[in-house]
Amino acid sequence: MLGNDIVDLNLAKIQSNWRRKNYLDKIFTTEEQLLIASANDPDEMVWLLWSMKESAYKIHNRKTGIRDFSPKSLNCAVYKDSLGEVNINNCTYFTKSNIQTTFIHTIAAPVFDKLAAVKVAIYELPDHPDDYKRTQPASVSHHGQYLALVY
Amino acid sequence: MNREEIIETLKTIIEPYSEDAAALADIDENTDFIKDLKINSANLVDIVLDVEEKFNIEIDNDSMAKMLTVKATTEIIAQKLEEHAGQ
Repeated sequence: MLGNDIVDLNLAKIQSNWRRKNYLDKIFTTEEQLLIASANDPDEMVWLLWSMKESAYKIHNRKTGIRDFSPKSLNCAVYKDSLGEVNINNCTYFTKSNIQTTFIHTIAAPVFDKLAAVKVAIYELPDHPDDYKRTQPASVSHHGQYLALVY
Repeated sequence: MNREEIIETLKTIIEPYSEDAAALADIDENTDFIKDLKINSANLVDIVLDVEEKFNIEIDNDSMAKMLTVKATTEIIAQKLEEHAGQ
């Protein structure tokens, strides 16, 4: 099982004001809020953590059949080389992120060694393929200009 | 505040976060914020914060976890308002 999540950073900037009062507290743990507060680029850290949570949630949701909105129960740890780990209820998901100036894309897998074998396709508008479902991606993520598929 | 009034207020909160005009026009109890209204999950947080401000209630994490549909959200708001009234 794989998960993936893409954040269009230009859209995120206008769509979400994470500096809004209480916003961070609703979705990030104390440790994660410290990472954001001490980051050189807090915007990047917010969306990196968010894409890690979303990509891990996509696997966890399929695995457990539970659909909820509980971002704070997904605990992120960020390692070097854009690698990370997301823990929820004794389940661990491993993540690898691709941080660009216009987007952040994260892939998640339940086994660390699987990450290296994941194939990623990222399309920018207007070049989204209409028939991508036929290619049977393991996980699909849309945001703003971007469509991200993993296999 | 009765259920209909809660839903009406909730509609005004949700509207700015969905670009799907047709789905917004058809909002009912079974409407799902993400599946039907195509609301970005990062904006669900804004809806929760707006609900807190507008209804003057506090949404705990367990309640927030359920707030994916109009029905669940309306129930949580009604319950929190009732708790408030009892104080």
